[in-house]
Amino acid sequence: MGGRPHNQKFKEFWQFIFPLIVAGMIWQLAVSFSFIDVALLPTPSMIAQEFYRLIWVKQTLLHHLGGSLYRLALGYIFAIAVGIFAGALLGLNRTVREMFSPALSLLIAVPTIAWVPVLLVTMGLGDKTVITAVFLGGVFEMTYSTMAGIRAVNRQQINAARIMGVSGPKLFFKVLVPASLAMVMPGLRLSNGYCWRALIGAEMLSAMILWGVGKMIYEARFWNDVKIMFVGLLLIGVCAVILDRILLKPLERGTVEKWGMLSGS
Amino acid sequence: MGDAIRELKMNSINDAKLSIRGVDKIYGNGSKRVIALEGVNLDIPDQKFTTIVGPSGCGKSTLLNLLAGFEKPTRGEILLDNIGIEKPGPDRGFVFQEYALFPWKTVLGNVMFGLVNNGYSRKEAKQRALDYINLVNLNGFVNAYPHTLSGGMKQRVSIARALAYDPKVLLMDEPFGALDAQTRKYMQEELIKIWEKCQKTVVFVTHSVIEASYLSDIVVVMTARPGKVKGIFKAAHPRSRDYTGDHFLALRKEVLDCLEEEVRKEIEMDRP
Repeated sequence: MGGRPHNQKFKEFWQFIFPLIVAGMIWQLAVSFSFIDVALLPTPSMIAQEFYRLIWVKQTLLHHLGGSLYRLALGYIFAIAVGIFAGALLGLNRTVREMFSPALSLLIAVPTIAWVPVLLVTMGLGDKTVITAVFLGGVFEMTYSTMAGIRAVNRQQINAARIMGVSGPKLFFKVLVPASLAMVMPGLRLSNGYCWRALIGAEMLSAMILWGVGKMIYEARFWNDVKIMFVGLLLIGVCAVILDRILLKPLERGTVEKWGMLSGS
Repeated sequence: MGDAIRELKMNSINDAKLSIRGVDKIYGNGSKRVIALEGVNLDIPDQKFTTIVGPSGCGKSTLLNLLAGFEKPTRGEILLDNIGIEKPGPDRGFVFQEYALFPWKTVLGNVMFGLVNNGYSRKEAKQRALDYINLVNLNGFVNAYPHTLSGGMKQRVSIARALAYDPKVLLMDEPFGALDAQTRKYMQEELIKIWEKCQKTVVFVTHSVIEASYLSDIVVVMTARPGKVKGIFKAAHPRSRDYTGDHFLALRKEVLDCLEEEVRKEIEMDRP
């Protein structure tokens, strides 16, 4: 690991950034030559200026980001903890699985944003609602991935451990846990994405919170300020990608990818 | 008189490392009922290389799973050193056709697994694991992960893992079935070298008569479903393991003749 040559990383970076630059340029030119009405759609350069203004002049952007990241972290961590626990239970015990997996399929199918009105009524208009929405956004996916991960463990690997005298909790921690990472790791990344969606949606609908990227985007509507909305959109995208690339992907690379456990790797 | 009978029994038992006594294995119920094994009686002698051959679906792998304790017989009993087998345990080693290595552990970690979980200290376990990795000629791959190894190498790791904690018997379920012909032949030769060094009781399941005749002291032929023991053939002793030797060819012919009838029966069975 870490043995990938430097220019390989550079190439990956360019492959990521290049299409964005091209799209930005086309956008800039289209607006500049008035194919699109400037009053409705700002150019990328205007968005960049606004970004600068919000960070350095108005100094509000980091407050918004901080508020969002705090709620995301809490909701996501709870979602992972509960999801892994529930998923392991469902994966290990057939009775529990048969009882609850229809409910799980149902819960996964419900868009998290549909929960938000329920939460607003039951939990108020503040942080609690948003954090709970983030939690709900990630927990079902995490539960499902963990359950599927446990169930997909190769029967013969379990038998190999059993004949070496390993059973019970030892079998769970020494074989089932590492073997199920093949699905738990991708589950961590997927549920991160779902948590972001839930976060922004819930922030838009929760009236009592002051700071939050979702809040910022939603409030910009009242001044018809599309620039701020785009700053928010870009910020969400960039943050989600950074979190994925800096934390989750290396985690995957250092474990299941290194062990050749990802199909297609 | 009672003593005499007991003595007689003891004698017959002492010969056998593993005793399979009147074993039936039945899967499913009603119309889905399948009799995999019926009235299997077999004694497997100590320190000998015993191979079980039979037409596909004859229950030879099922029998091996019963010996391992992965499954329980529907009727009858299986004894290892005169003690009934209840569940899987480290007095047996098992080599799977699909290797069943732990992909998250290195070669060393895989071979150490059975040792650290059976009372060896980390230091002892490591030393012992290295000895066995050496035995299977994988010295250069101690820290490699299984997915980077070829099929033959994976199977050698699997053999080292199964032997390292010194089980009483080694059970091998078509271990070379997934390998190409050249690697397979090489692995057969390697296995015999290893076996000659450690002299374990081996039960080896295969559908290849050539493999069985080459490797074994004893070849057990099973009938088509429901599986029973049809014939037991002993290799001449002392034997030379040689693909063109008279011993080999004679044994191969005996086993083939015995098996041919069963294979025909199995094909008949598949006809609508």
